[in-house]
Amino acid sequence: IETARFFDFEEFPKRDQVTYMYYTGRLEVYNENFLAADQKLTYALKNCNPRSEANIRMILKYLIPVKLSVGILPATSLLQQYNLVEYINVVQALKSGDLRLLRHALQEHEDRFLRSGVYLVLEKLELQVYQRLLKKIYIIQKARDPSKAHQIKLEVLVKALKWLEKDMDVDEVECMVAILIYKNLIKGYFAHKSKVVVLSKQDPFPKLSGKPVNS
Amino acid sequence: DDKEEGKEAMQQWEDDWDDDDVNDDFSLQLRKELESNSEKK
Repeated sequence: IETARFFDFEEFPKRDQVTYMYYTGRLEVYNENFLAADQKLTYALKNCNPRSEANIRMILKYLIPVKLSVGILPATSLLQQYNLVEYINVVQALKSGDLRLLRHALQEHEDRFLRSGVYLVLEKLELQVYQRLLKKIYIIQKARDPSKAHQIKLEVLVKALKWLEKDMDVDEVECMVAILIYKNLIKGYFAHKSKVVVLSKQDPFPKLSGKPVNS
Repeated sequence: DDKEEGKEAMQQWEDDWDDDDVNDDFSLQLRKELESNSEKK
């Protein structure tokens, strides 16, 4: 009897390797294993038939949300080249901290994102946009008064969010900031009584740079 | 030159986009908004 032999992945034809990595990569996206998804889809992208624009586009449809989740952004030229323009405003929202823009971008292309199954992944980008917004507020405060910049009043956040058509009271904002701290998107602590977030003086807004948000 | 397309797609990513620039339209509006808040108080 011939025993089952272990096949070396490398022995299979390249195209089968790519197909395997594409589908298992998609599975990792659904399971929210973003590091594994990134690795598999990147492999598929690197090794797929470079002439097949349709295949590259299929891979990018999943690789882009994965990359966004770990803080890496696609260039606009890439989105245009493969007609993935539904991501342009999502990327813009991440860069600017514009929560309203993120919400609108997700609403506008809801069908498409739901059909490909990445909607939930994109929804979670909201945390990164909050981080970005807080960072912008911090930088703006710093330009005005560097000595007090690391203290952000929750009231200021409430007003900024109201401007972005997001109605949250002070308690809700405190809760949101607590989540950001817990997820290591912000380093700092609350001065609960005075309703202020005190940011760490060192690296208050840690970058993801390829790592997923803590869950 | 289309042979390089997959590889080329690999190069169009930015991981160092998180700058301190607050001169974009959104930031300027945000600043205006925050400043109008402090006047009210």
